[in-house]
Amino acid sequence: MAAANSAPERYGATLPALGEAKGVAAGLPDLLIEARRVAATVIAGWHGRRVAGRGENFWQFRQFASGEAAIAIDWRRSARDDHFYVREKEWEAAHLVWLWPDISASMDFRSRLARASKRDRALVITLALADLLGGAGERVGLLGESDPILAHNAAERIASFIARMTPRPPDTRRLRRFTDVVLVSDFLDPIADVEARLDAIVRSGARAHLVQVTDPIEETFPFAGRTEFEDPETGIRHVVTRAEQYRDDYLARLAALRDQLSLLCRRLDWTFLVHRTDRPASEPLLALHARLADRHALAGHQGGRAA
Amino acid sequence: MMGLPLAFTYAPVLFALIALPAIWWLMRVFPPRPRTEVLPTTRLLLEIARKEEEPARTPWWLLLLRLVLAALVIFALAGPVYRPSAETAPGAGPLLIAIDNGWAAAPRWTSIIETAHRINRIAEQEGRPVALVATADGGTQPLDPADAATVAKRIDALQPRPHAADYATLLPALTAAQKAHPFGGVAWLSDGLGGDGVSAFAAFLTLQVGAPTVVYADQSSELMALKPPIGAADALTVPVIRRDGTHPAAGFVRATDLKGRTIGDAPFDFAAGSTAAEAKFALPVELRNDIARLDIVGSQTAGAVQLLDERYRRRKIGLLSGAGVDVAQPLLSPLYYISRAVQPFADVIEPRDANADIAIPQLIEGGTSIIAMADIGTLTPDVAETLANWVLKGGTLVRFAGPRLAAATDELVPVRLRHGDRVLGGSLTWQDPQPLASFSPASPFAGLAVPGDVLIKRQVLAEPDATLSEHTWASLADGTPLVTAAPSGKGWLVLFHVTADTSWSNLPLSGTFVEMLRRVIAFSSAGAARQAKPGDTVALLPPLRLLDGFGHFASPASDAKSIPAEGAIAVDAAHPPGLYGADDGFRSLNLMDDKATLSPFDATVAGDATVLAYPTEAPLPLRPWLFAGALALFLVDALAVLVLNGGVAFLRRRHATAAVALLAVIALASLLDHARADDAADQFALKAVEQTRLAYVVTGNAEIDAASDAGLRGLSEVLTERTALEPGDPMGVDPAKDDLSFFPLLYWPIDPSAPLPTSATMARVDAYMRQGGSVLFDTRDQLERSTNAGNFSGTPAAEYLRQMLSSLDIPPLEPVPADHVLTKAFYLLNEFPGRYTGGPLWVETTQNDAAHADRPANAGDGVSTILITENDFASAWAMDRDGRFIYPTVPTDPVQREMAFRTGVNIVMYTLTGNYKADQVHVPALLERLGQ
Repeated sequence: MAAANSAPERYGATLPALGEAKGVAAGLPDLLIEARRVAATVIAGWHGRRVAGRGENFWQFRQFASGEAAIAIDWRRSARDDHFYVREKEWEAAHLVWLWPDISASMDFRSRLARASKRDRALVITLALADLLGGAGERVGLLGESDPILAHNAAERIASFIARMTPRPPDTRRLRRFTDVVLVSDFLDPIADVEARLDAIVRSGARAHLVQVTDPIEETFPFAGRTEFEDPETGIRHVVTRAEQYRDDYLARLAALRDQLSLLCRRLDWTFLVHRTDRPASEPLLALHARLADRHALAGHQGGRAA
Repeated sequence: MMGLPLAFTYAPVLFALIALPAIWWLMRVFPPRPRTEVLPTTRLLLEIARKEEEPARTPWWLLLLRLVLAALVIFALAGPVYRPSAETAPGAGPLLIAIDNGWAAAPRWTSIIETAHRINRIAEQEGRPVALVATADGGTQPLDPADAATVAKRIDALQPRPHAADYATLLPALTAAQKAHPFGGVAWLSDGLGGDGVSAFAAFLTLQVGAPTVVYADQSSELMALKPPIGAADALTVPVIRRDGTHPAAGFVRATDLKGRTIGDAPFDFAAGSTAAEAKFALPVELRNDIARLDIVGSQTAGAVQLLDERYRRRKIGLLSGAGVDVAQPLLSPLYYISRAVQPFADVIEPRDANADIAIPQLIEGGTSIIAMADIGTLTPDVAETLANWVLKGGTLVRFAGPRLAAATDELVPVRLRHGDRVLGGSLTWQDPQPLASFSPASPFAGLAVPGDVLIKRQVLAEPDATLSEHTWASLADGTPLVTAAPSGKGWLVLFHVTADTSWSNLPLSGTFVEMLRRVIAFSSAGAARQAKPGDTVALLPPLRLLDGFGHFASPASDAKSIPAEGAIAVDAAHPPGLYGADDGFRSLNLMDDKATLSPFDATVAGDATVLAYPTEAPLPLRPWLFAGALALFLVDALAVLVLNGGVAFLRRRHATAAVALLAVIALASLLDHARADDAADQFALKAVEQTRLAYVVTGNAEIDAASDAGLRGLSEVLTERTALEPGDPMGVDPAKDDLSFFPLLYWPIDPSAPLPTSATMARVDAYMRQGGSVLFDTRDQLERSTNAGNFSGTPAAEYLRQMLSSLDIPPLEPVPADHVLTKAFYLLNEFPGRYTGGPLWVETTQNDAAHADRPANAGDGVSTILITENDFASAWAMDRDGRFIYPTVPTDPVQREMAFRTGVNIVMYTLTGNYKADQVHVPALLERLGQ
C-alpha cells in the first residue's frame, strides 16, 4: 500500500512522482496486451452466472413457498394447475467490482529471480480482471479514481485512469455494500496502517479480495554476509553483518504478517491470495475469477433471498 | 637494524610507519562498505530482534592483515637489503684497487668483481679517482687514477689469468705511479694465496703507500690444485694439493682424453691437517695413454688442471739381451737392472723368445717405442735392417755395451767404436776407475746432478772424431764418453758405453741410472723435439690450445709466445699453461710443477690493514619479496572480504559448482587427451579381438568405403552360412593410426584420386605383412584395362598401386597358378571373378618344386602376404541389410556372383588356414603310398 505521506518526503517533489506515473503509463499498453493475453486464457472458463436473481430473462418456475410475497406469484403459470408458481428470473444485475492496484514505490521492485516487477504484475492482474469483468458485462471501477464503468473496453478505460493515478491509499468513500473490491498490493506497510485502511472497507460493507504480490527474493531472502538493505519506499537503510543469520527470523516474521492478514480476511469472509512474481499472472487471475464467481453466486443467492 | 644483517636504501621512507596507527584508526572508523541490496521488506528486518551486536568495525584479524600489508608496502618502498655489503673505500684521495687476478682468483671471481664494483661505486659517490691494478697483468697496465666509470669498464674487462700474480714487474711500475700520484687508500682484493710476491706487495702497501688499507682475503673457500701426475706401473698417481689444510676434504679427479671424453674418475681424500692427497688412476696402459687432461671435478681454475703430453705416456720398452737369461740368478742379468729402473715409467716387454731374429720383429709389431738391447753385438742382416727402419721411423734404440758389443758391432750405434774394451783400475791397468764427470747441457740429461759415487771400471771407447762431442750426452772425468747418441731418421740411437749390469760399473746401482733412463724414455716420447739435434737451437712450439684462468681451453691469446720444445719454462703471461705445438706432437705446459705448494694468505704481512672476508653472498634486495608478500596479503584480504560479505556462499550456491566443474573439466581435458587417444586405441583393439573380423582400409572416399563395408559384410554372411568361420561385422581401419595386427586379411580398395599413404603408413603396412598379415589390393578397374591381359599397368589405379608399393619389399608376383592352394582352399576354382571377370588374381610366386610337380596343389611356404586383383570383389559381395545385392555384376550373371563369393571364401580360408589345404589334397597320394 502506498504511503502517501512518505513518498513526497522521499522524492522531495511531485515531479519524480509524475515521472514515475509516466513510467507506469508508458508501460500500460504492453501491460494491457499482456492482460488481454492472460484474460484470454481464463475467459474460456467464464460462464454465465446460472443463478436465479434479479434480471430480465426467465430462469425457472418454482413452487411458491409459504411466506413469500404474493407479488412474486406468476399467475399465468399458476392458473394451469393447482399450485402456485413463482417465476424466477436469471440474476442479471450488473455487479460492481472495484479494482485497486498499488503503484507505490515498494511495488516497483523486480529482483533477478522475478519475471516482472511487482507493480507490472499488479497492473496486469488488475487490467486482466477489468477485461474479463467488462467483457462479462460487469461494472468495474478504479477505486477512488474513476466511476464505475460498464463497457467492453473497460480495461482500456481503467488503464487510462491508472495512467493518471498517483501512489496514495485508496479512497474508500464510494464503496457500498454488495460491491467487491480487489486490492492488488504487497501489503508491506506496517500492519497497523494496513488494518486501518482495510477497516474503512469493512465499514463500507464491501467485500474485499486481497492479492498480495510478492517478489521471490522477498520470500526466500537469499542474502548472506554483510549487506545493507534499502527500502525503496521509505528509503530506510539497514546494515546487517551476517544476513544469512537473519533468514529464519525474517521468514517467520513474513509468515506471521501474512497469517495476520489471512486471519483478518477469513474473519471478514474476504479472500486472501498470495502471488509471487516468478509465477505466471494467470494463476491469481484464475483464482480471483473463481472467488468472484463464488461470491456472485453467494450474492445472487442472498440477493434472491432478499428480493 | 643491529641484530639483522639488514639495511635500507631509502631509510626515510620508514617514517611512513608512523602512519600505521592512523591507518588503523581510519579502518576502524570506516568499516568496509557492505553490499547494498534493495529490499522492499527491509521494514521486516528492522522489526526482527538483533541477533548479534553489529560489528560496524572491521574484525581485528582483518585489521591486522591490512596493517601488515601496509607495513610490508612501506618496508618494500624503503628498499631493504638483506646482508648489505659492508664495503668501504678506505682513506681519502686517489684510491688504489688491487685485484688479484691470478688463477687462484677464479673460484671467487664473481664475488671479487662484485666487491670491486661496489668499492668503485663508493669511490664514485665520494668523488675519488680510482687506480685499478690487476696483479697478474704485469707492469704494463695503466696505473694512473681514473674516474670510476672508466674503472668500472676495466673491472668488467678483467678476467682471471691462468698464471700466478706477477708482482715482480708490477712493483716497480706501482712505485712509479705512487710517486706520481700518491694513493690515499688501498683496497686489495686478494685471491687468498700467500707467498713471497704477496709479502713484497704487502710490504709495498704498508711501507711505501702507507694509506689506510682494506684487504679482502678469501680463506674460507677450498682451493685445490693438481701437481704433475706420476706414472707408475700399476697406476697413474695424481698428487692433489690444497691451500687450507684444517678440514678434511674429498673430491674426484677426472681424466679426459683429447676429445674431452671422460676416461675415468679417481677419488682423493684430504685428511684434516693435510694439504696433500693423491688420486690414483688404475687403468690399463692403453687407456692411461689416452689421458690428455686431468682436472679436479668441480674446480674451475687453471691450477686444477694438468695437461698430459707424450712425456706422460707410458712407453713400452722392449728388452733384449745377448746373454742367456738366467732366471736363477737374476742379479747377474743386465736386463734385471734395466727393467727395475724403467718400470716406474714404462711397461717392460721381455720377449719370450730369446732369438733376436724373432724377438725384434715381435717387439716392433707390439708397438714398443724403445728397445733396449743389452750386450748384443751383431744382428742378422734382415733383422738389423728391420730394426734400422724402425729407428728411422721414430723408434729409440738404447744399447748397452758388453763383451759381445765390444767384440763386434754393427751399424746401429751412434758413434764408431773401437774394438775391444777398456779396463780401468784393474790389476793390469794404471788408471783408476773413472767417475762420471758431466752431462752435456744439450742432452736430455741436462740438469742432472752428477753423482760422485759412480765409478766406471770398464767401457767401450768411441773412435775420437770431430763430432764425438756432439754425440756425447755424458762423459767421464777423462773426457771419454759414457753415453753417446745420434739421431737416425726420426729415431735415435743411444749407446751406454757400459754394461747394464754391475760387472763394468756401479752405474746401474745408482739413482742416476734410473733418472737417466727415465729421461731417455721421456726424450724418446717428446715427438716434436726429436728433430732437434743436441746443440741445435731448440725448436719453438707455437701455442696450440691454452687454458684460461678457469681452466677451460681457449684459443691462444695474441700475446702468448711459443715455447721451446724442451727445458723448463716458467708459466707467466707470455707463456700461459696449455698445449704447444701441433696436433700430432705437442708439449703441455702446466701451471703447477711437482714442487708447487699453495700457501694461504698471511694476514700479518698486511700490517695494520683491515683484513676482511669476501661476502659469501651478494646482498639480497628484499623489495621484490616484500612486494610479493604484500600482493599475497592483498589477495588474502580480498578473499576475506569476499567471505565476510557472503560472496563465497552466494557463489557456492549459484555458480561455483558449475564453475569448479568447468575448471576441473578444462584441467582434466588436457590430461585426458592422451588418455582419450589410448582409450580409442583400446576400444579399437577390444572391438577387433572380440571376434574374427574382416577389415578394409578406409580410403576416405565415402562411396568406396560404403562398398567395402557392404561387401565385407556380405562376404561375412556367406562365410557364416557356408563355413565354420563366423566373422563379426567388418571394420574399417586406417593403416596410419590403427593397429593392423588383429586382422588376418586386409581388403584395400585402391582409390587413385586419394593422396599416397605416407612412408610411415607404408612402414606399418610392411610390418603388418611381415608379421603374417595378408593385404588384398583391389584396383577395381578391370573394365579399364586394355585387352592384353597380364600387363599390370596402364590404369591410374594400377599406377597408384605401383607407386604405393614401390617403397615396400614386395616379393615377385604371379597370377594364381592352376595348382595354387587358393584354387582349392574351400571351393575348387578356376578363376577369381568379382564384379568384373577376367582379371587375374596376383599372388606371391610360389617356388615350383619339381619333385612335387605331380601334386594337385602347390602350397608354397606360408600365405601370400599380398594379393592383387582388379575385379572389384567388394562390389560383387556387397549386400544391403536385407540381403539384396547392391551392385550388378558385369556381365549380369548370377553364376559370376556365386563365383565371386566362392573366391572370397577361398581367399579368407586361404589366409586363415594357410597351406593346410595343400596338405589335405595330398591325401590320395599319401593313401596310395601307405597302401604299398
